[in-house]
Amino acid sequence: MKILLILGLLLCYSFVSSSGDTTIHTNNWAVLVCTSRFWFNYRHMANTLSLYRTVKRLGIPDERIILMLADDMACNARNEYPAQVFNNENHKLNLYGDNVEVDYRGYEVTVENFLRVLTGRHENAVPRSKRLLSDEGSHILLYMTGHGGDEFLKFQDAEELQSHDLADAVKQMKEKRRFKELMIMVDTCQAATLFNQLQSPGVLAIGSSLKGENSYSHHLDSDIGVSVVDRFTYYTLAFFERLNIYDNASLNSLFRSYDPRLLMSTAYYRTDLYQPHLVEVPVTNFFGSVMETIHTNSAYKAFSSKISNSKSNPEMPLNQLSEHDANIPNDELKNEKQKCPYSQMRADLHKKLEKLENVDTVVNLSIAVMVVVVMVSSSLLR
Amino acid sequence: MEETSDRLNPGITPEFDPKTMRSTKPGLKRLFITTSVLFSFLLGVPFLWKSVEIYRSPLPFHDIDSLSDQIESTPLRFPCNFHAVFVGFPSTDPDNLRSQIQDGINQLTHQNSQCGSCNFSLSVTVQNRDDQCSETLAHSSTTCSYRCGVIKRNVFGVGVDDTVDESLNDVFSGCSEESGKVYSVVVVNKENANGGDEVKAVVGKRRHAWIVGNGLEERYGDMVARVSEIFVKVFMTGGRDEDSIQGEFMPVGSDGRIVLSFSLLNSNPRDWVYDWDFQRIDEALLAPVTKALAPIANISVESQVLYHTPKSSFSSWDKKLQSYIFRTSDLPFFVNSNEWHLDTSAGASGRSKILQFVVYIPSGKECPLLLQLPNGEISKTNGFISPMWGGVIVWNPGNCDKDSESPSRNTISPQDLEQIVEIFLGQFRQLFGFKSEAIYTSGLGTYKILPSERGFTEWELDVLSRKHTCFNLHSCSTTLGSLSRLVRSLPRMIIKDEIGEQVKYSLKAAKLAQSNASLGGYSSSASSSREARSLAENAFFHPSIMSVSYFSYEHCFAVYSPFFLPVAGHVVLAALREWRRYKQEKAKYLTWLTRKKTA
Repeated sequence: MKILLILGLLLCYSFVSSSGDTTIHTNNWAVLVCTSRFWFNYRHMANTLSLYRTVKRLGIPDERIILMLADDMACNARNEYPAQVFNNENHKLNLYGDNVEVDYRGYEVTVENFLRVLTGRHENAVPRSKRLLSDEGSHILLYMTGHGGDEFLKFQDAEELQSHDLADAVKQMKEKRRFKELMIMVDTCQAATLFNQLQSPGVLAIGSSLKGENSYSHHLDSDIGVSVVDRFTYYTLAFFERLNIYDNASLNSLFRSYDPRLLMSTAYYRTDLYQPHLVEVPVTNFFGSVMETIHTNSAYKAFSSKISNSKSNPEMPLNQLSEHDANIPNDELKNEKQKCPYSQMRADLHKKLEKLENVDTVVNLSIAVMVVVVMVSSSLLR
Repeated sequence: MEETSDRLNPGITPEFDPKTMRSTKPGLKRLFITTSVLFSFLLGVPFLWKSVEIYRSPLPFHDIDSLSDQIESTPLRFPCNFHAVFVGFPSTDPDNLRSQIQDGINQLTHQNSQCGSCNFSLSVTVQNRDDQCSETLAHSSTTCSYRCGVIKRNVFGVGVDDTVDESLNDVFSGCSEESGKVYSVVVVNKENANGGDEVKAVVGKRRHAWIVGNGLEERYGDMVARVSEIFVKVFMTGGRDEDSIQGEFMPVGSDGRIVLSFSLLNSNPRDWVYDWDFQRIDEALLAPVTKALAPIANISVESQVLYHTPKSSFSSWDKKLQSYIFRTSDLPFFVNSNEWHLDTSAGASGRSKILQFVVYIPSGKECPLLLQLPNGEISKTNGFISPMWGGVIVWNPGNCDKDSESPSRNTISPQDLEQIVEIFLGQFRQLFGFKSEAIYTSGLGTYKILPSERGFTEWELDVLSRKHTCFNLHSCSTTLGSLSRLVRSLPRMIIKDEIGEQVKYSLKAAKLAQSNASLGGYSSSASSSREARSLAENAFFHPSIMSVSYFSYEHCFAVYSPFFLPVAGHVVLAALREWRRYKQEKAKYLTWLTRKKTA
């Protein structure tokens, strides 16, 4: 018994110390952003939806995922398969199947909204489902895909997100303790330049290509007519399809699985701001959701002690209230009768109708009566 | 050349050269026109400057910096008064006892002055068998003093603990509202010859505790140690082990509100459907708890009943226990976030904290469902919490036999509801870092802790108030510090009046909290520190502070220069040109004048 206690304490201690920080890891969040629109950027939306599906399958609930999509593919007039989005030409997986909750769609995907999500500065009326409600123990996965370049990312063909804006937002998040660890995954051309200016600790970043390199799509689906997935995301998904919620494959194995020859670009990752060793960090720290749970050892016997002590007064608080309650409804009914005879009449009628067993015959009879009345009255009036 | 010109034009002066001389004074008209145009441009520059000036509400940077320095350097300590009463002891020197107890307390606290700890003052009263008292001279004279002989030795041990608690409350209830609350420990020495040797220690629901035993006059050292332990381990730290202000056991939202969201999950309504009368629980059992925690957080309660909500982990049949077992290793995967739509609160605003409390009713295929702990025992509560999220209780229906007809619709009985609420209170206290066991065990012995119907005893509420005041003030000062740094780094960002006012009120509330804390008002300092934190968060998260919307100086220059630079360039150049021409003509005139004079 004592040994188990000591072991338990050691486990807790090792868990706390391995995180490198004094806060415990409370939950996981995912912010998935697709920054392109238009039909020929089908693959970017398919990328984001595939990652959404993966992250949900591994346990992160919708209430902790912020999905930003232009969402103009599934119901596009050019889509041969309406309401279906695929990420492979074998069409095995419909990404837009069921239970897809898009938080920011269409023209709401702007740089300003993206930065508002990250920093938390929303108008008062913005609902909770559109906010990043992370706390100081959260691990956040930030995935962005689209068209990018040297130190910028293009948003919806109209604006740009610069690398210093992103670094500034991350700095403000860190100051306000909105995350414990942040993982940024970018799948665009020259992706690694986007996190050049990052300086906050606790951030891990991986991009699909270096400066001067392009990121390529994986294959073209001749049925749909456009490319359906990018290479970096395709190999990421290939890694995750082998996992389930109980696995503990490490981030190192994920990063090592990227082959530059297959990707046709160099997947570059930056770990200088991230303290823990990649070999020890399971991918479910970011991509899945493992709740921190503590068993409740005992109930708080506030009421049973009262009952056992006061034998002369055996009424429990709930029963006391029930006696009190029983008097009230009658009074209310009486008041109602005095107040509003019309509604009382309606209530009586409703009760009578409910008692009827076969309502259909009554309805048919009344329709017949109505017809007769109409005929009689029209003949009289003529 | 001069001579020929002389012979040709005898009327003009011999040395006139139009290139270097002129006969008339140069006019000022051209110069006047150009310089007046330039001057009007220059006049307009201040108006232009004023029009592109951005409005920045002046923030009290100096005050913010001084607040954060203050909070960092001097941790906030609260005044507490400790009072020990020894009843039934032969005349002993109370000062000696006092110094012993003080040594014991200092040893236990290791003299660490963390934020939220007590700056205590100790007084001891000894009442001997003849009901005569001798007291120590307290440093601070409190208006309430213990009236000698009020506590009778025969009260203890006869009545039940609750009645003893009530009677002691009558004795000590007058002592408060001075500098801090008074915590009392009564040590009673009974003289039953046939009594056993056991010592009973009970901690009451308000701010007093008592130790009863026989023959205690021989065991002074023990008693002193136990008294110091009660003062430090129970009244000062609340029975919690960790001392630090960890954020994960402070589930209060940044606007000072908590929403308790109760959900009753019917996992498979085809087997059975359960309902509950939540209105009753709310009015009878939850309202006192909500009221008790009012200084710490503004709590609102909502509830819902959900159907078709299976869990996502698996359980296995255990023949010996005749039930389905799930283990603590399955707990992290228990909550099925895909199908449990818990976060549907309509009343919670963006910055409140929602705590989910789930009562899960298993389906017929998994009934009864019991939680097995790693040591093989079955859990008594069948529940678990996740810090900062909430708790789950698995409640098994009375009999697990399914009716083959339509699913039965039942309501959870009031007795079961009370049991569930007791477990919920245990979980709620756990989320705040308190344990709920009825017995507190330490090296020196066991203490029975009486539970209160309000969910928290008064001394626990004091501990909570102190801890939360510390946390809120710390959070407020870091938020205001971040805001001031951010504002100073973006010189062209508009700061609205609203933000300035919120910062001002937040600083005022923080100062009020600090002064209340030094005066000993725990709950008032907790509520003002909560207000300070919420105002600071409102100011920091104001939606107008978006750096992407505001231009830097270079951008501003780039926007305005195409309008003004070309025209301004021409005007300035023209003025300069005229000025130079005027000077040249003036020089020419002057040379002609000197020639004329010399000639």
